[in-house]
Amino acid sequence: MENTTNSRECMLRVTDIHKRFGDLQVLSGISFEVHQGEVLAIIGPSGSGKSTMLRCLNRLETIDRGSIEIAGQYLAKDDGQGARYVDSEFARRLCTHMGMVFQQFNLFPHMTVLENLIEAPVHVRIRPREEAVEEAERLLSKVGLLSKRDVYPARLSGGQQQRVAIARALAMKPDIILFDEPTSALDPELTVEVLRTMRDLAEEHMTMVVVTHEMAFAREVANEVIFMSDGVIVEQGEPEEIFTRPREERTRAFLRSMLK
Amino acid sequence: MDKRLETTLSILGGARITLEIFLVTLLLSLPLGFLSALARLSHLRPLSRFMEVYIWILRGSPLMLQLLFVYFALPLVGIRLDPVPSALLAFTLNYGAYFAEIFRAGIQAVDRGQYEAAKSLGMTYTQTMRRIVLPQVIYRVLPPVSNETINLVKDTSLIYILAMNDLLRVARTIVQRDFDMTAFFIAGAFYLAMTAVLTWVFQKLEAHYGKYDE
Repeated sequence: MENTTNSRECMLRVTDIHKRFGDLQVLSGISFEVHQGEVLAIIGPSGSGKSTMLRCLNRLETIDRGSIEIAGQYLAKDDGQGARYVDSEFARRLCTHMGMVFQQFNLFPHMTVLENLIEAPVHVRIRPREEAVEEAERLLSKVGLLSKRDVYPARLSGGQQQRVAIARALAMKPDIILFDEPTSALDPELTVEVLRTMRDLAEEHMTMVVVTHEMAFAREVANEVIFMSDGVIVEQGEPEEIFTRPREERTRAFLRSMLK
Repeated sequence: MDKRLETTLSILGGARITLEIFLVTLLLSLPLGFLSALARLSHLRPLSRFMEVYIWILRGSPLMLQLLFVYFALPLVGIRLDPVPSALLAFTLNYGAYFAEIFRAGIQAVDRGQYEAAKSLGMTYTQTMRRIVLPQVIYRVLPPVSNETINLVKDTSLIYILAMNDLLRVARTIVQRDFDMTAFFIAGAFYLAMTAVLTWVFQKLEAHYGKYDE
């Protein structure tokens, strides 16, 4: 990526985070930064801790050590003895800077597509309903699903559900969107439409952190790629570097296995 | 007055008592059950354990015994209640325990991803429970709640033990007085009518809350 990236505002700074589940150390000192408008792809084998890492960013998991800074404000700060979280109300507000798109979509099944989109803007952001509806309709036409406005999620294909989920995240006007393997639950032909939507977002300079197994997407869309394995960052760099000249043997082995 | 009419009117009076106990119990025990389910699922160990014991005792002993306990044993510790409040207390605690278990299962059946999506959208715990979890729980628990509710209609007949003139006791008194079984048939018809109405209401509720379920 161009050097201009670093002059842009730092949207997310993760410093030396550690996390364990019981006896299992899942994250052992992860650090990185994401700047405004940047797309960071995180790749790595299953069980490498990449999803857990992503979930730590918006407090779906807690970290044991290290710091997380979102748009210049601490979510958790290490005081030398461990991570100290800010109070939960502040954390909740801070995390609304970030949207999240899940592998299993997690749309609210008892609400129509439109209701899914306006739920948080109306009840969390306290926007007038008409305004939220207008914005929701704009987002639905953007992801090509305006005609599904009043349909319940169960009636949609997986790809459509995921595009609604992306629109739902966008409706909160987040500064960053986190994607947790957004196409892993989809058939190949449905994957395409979701990746296209994500590509559109990247072109509009949405800041994105994407945990993915889609190597082509990571290579073409990301500005920066992190390869994780066993809870550490093995290698980090521009996509061209990682995909054509990986320095580490573990990266090479992983990429070989993915190409098969 | 025509004997039939008189019988029916007396039974109607009994039906009113039955209906009152039924409705008040339902209105109190449903929220109690929901809150108990939340407490039962709480990460606060003592609270969760306490609810477990409450549910065990109330589900594990006869409702009749609980009625007698409230009416005859509580006065020994200075709590003296009239028959109606006694019945309401025992019924509410008992049905609250059953509903708690139904709600607990319903809450646990809601996918973890729903909480995570709500959290990622910045919703508070209360908003998440009220707007995301509860509507899905309601749909899931309607069939078992419907069952318990119909049971409750019939369980109300236990209040005769506190000398309350409910539907069944009135009918029995008439039968014993007149040596005529008609009162039993009328009482039976009342119970069936009430459960018919309930069945209809629950069908409507299921259709309403389940409209998303394709």
